[in-house]
Amino acid sequence: MLTTFRNLLDKSILFISSFALMLLVVTVTWQVFSRYVLNDPSSWTGELARYTMVWLGLLGAGYLFGVKGHLAITLLDGYLRGKAHTALQLLINGISFAFVSLAMLKGGLALMGRTGQQLSPALQLPMSTVYSILPISAVIILIYLTLNTLDLFCKSNKK
Amino acid sequence: MDLSIGVWLLGLFLFMIAISMPIAIAIAMSSLTIMYFILPFDVASITAGQKIITGIDSFSLLAIPFFILAGNIMNVGGIAGRLINLAKLMVGWIPGSLLHVNIFANMMFGAVSGSAVAAAAAVGKTLGPELEKEGYDKNLATAVNVASCPAGLLIPPSNSLIVFSVVSGGTSVAALFIAGYVPGILMGLSCMVVAYFIAKKKGYKTSANEGFTTTDVLRIIWQATPSLGLIFVVIGGIIGGVFTATEGACIAVLYSFILSLCYRTLKWSHFSLICKETTMITGIMLFLIGASTIMSWAMAFTGLPTMISDWMLSISDNPIIIFILMNLILLIVGMFMDLTPAVLIFTPIFMPIAEHLGMHPIHFAMMIIFNLCIGIATPPVGTALFVGCSVSGSKIEDVIRSIMPFCAVLIVTLLFITFVPEISLFLPRFFGLIS
Repeated sequence: MLTTFRNLLDKSILFISSFALMLLVVTVTWQVFSRYVLNDPSSWTGELARYTMVWLGLLGAGYLFGVKGHLAITLLDGYLRGKAHTALQLLINGISFAFVSLAMLKGGLALMGRTGQQLSPALQLPMSTVYSILPISAVIILIYLTLNTLDLFCKSNKK
Repeated sequence: MDLSIGVWLLGLFLFMIAISMPIAIAIAMSSLTIMYFILPFDVASITAGQKIITGIDSFSLLAIPFFILAGNIMNVGGIAGRLINLAKLMVGWIPGSLLHVNIFANMMFGAVSGSAVAAAAAVGKTLGPELEKEGYDKNLATAVNVASCPAGLLIPPSNSLIVFSVVSGGTSVAALFIAGYVPGILMGLSCMVVAYFIAKKKGYKTSANEGFTTTDVLRIIWQATPSLGLIFVVIGGIIGGVFTATEGACIAVLYSFILSLCYRTLKWSHFSLICKETTMITGIMLFLIGASTIMSWAMAFTGLPTMISDWMLSISDNPIIIFILMNLILLIVGMFMDLTPAVLIFTPIFMPIAEHLGMHPIHFAMMIIFNLCIGIATPPVGTALFVGCSVSGSKIEDVIRSIMPFCAVLIVTLLFITFVPEISLFLPRFFGLIS
């Protein structure tokens, strides 16, 4: 059940980020094209590309928590075995959980509340929409951290 | 300013790094914790969240996902084989030919794909069977592959240089790119010199380009030219000021896409894999950059950079001693930490000191990145070392002994780069990109 849920989440994130990647290529291509071929540089492409990249980056960061792909110096993690290893993983997940819920979820939601009225200069997009990726990716990361922690106990039970 | 808070920041950060936390979270959480001491709770949380976004909301950084995407598209196109053939043509006549072919191919592949690890994997995998057939020492071959693969991180297009440009507050990407050529090629040449002497001693023959007919030569050049053409179009355009680095990177994506359509190597099934790899590397780099933005904000509060610079300058005000000390610290850091986080953390700390002592930012960039490139290939933590060993099937302990002479010569080259500014500054001056 949990594995199915995890796979579904993985696939949805990758689907959206593939779309974001294509959008990025199209947007910046259009920027070059409009400047050199149409001689009419468009004003919104830079902004759209930047915001899309912010979304792509944070979605990717979320996905990486699922596959434990973030860079880390894993000397201690590789050295410990058994219960000590589980305890270390719990500590790592706990600290990550704390940061993500404090800065990205809580801070992100508060940031959205403050910037609801602000509009982006070129696209006239509410800045709260741009910032909404913070709580979104926070929720994704929290789900993955919870799943990883649950896996930790399932594995130790099986042994 | 309270210095003890700076010590707390450093201590917390080192603790979290030591317990195998993701480096990005270690950076961000240690900063957030000390921000809670300084600011009201809500303000600290919001500021931290906001810094992540403002740190990565930059058009220059957009070049990173594009270059990664272009590299991944090129990768599935079997570019490694074509570049290896070209390398055989160019350096196959030197004693220990396959070792030099490996180094030369790494330089080209690393430049095109922008990834040391991808180069070590692709070139190592393709050359491995040949090296074994010709009786090369497996550990030596792995050491050569691992030591030379970071050269592509200096030879443009290079994501490391883009990260440096952003973290250093907007150093010109065009100037950094053109400056990267000489140190990058020197890295490859240093490895070739060591490989040459070892090959002489072991009596390896020169066989790789025996029996090339004129048709072979033309065919090899014809096959490799389109892949290397990417570098000419993109770098030429960026340095010539035709487009920005980000636009150049986007053109690299289109170029590699059209090229792989022409070669008919890109299949629909590759598409999701390419997107996945690109998303992952983009996520790693951008999350690190966002986290470092929180840290540089917190560091400015604590006065930690001033503290470190005061400490270094109290040891000596002789630039030679300070630069050697800087390089020693970076070499040790590089042994444990990957290049991107180390550049993000140490550029804001060391660059003001270097500039104070009269070092040009471009020169500093070459020094710090060359230095950290050595760290990618050294134990205990070296991504290139791990990948190189897993591709060739050698044990890390066995490769370490073979890699030592390479590291020693690379450190000598690093000293030249540190103390001879012209190595880094000649090309950008020549093209009028810096005064």
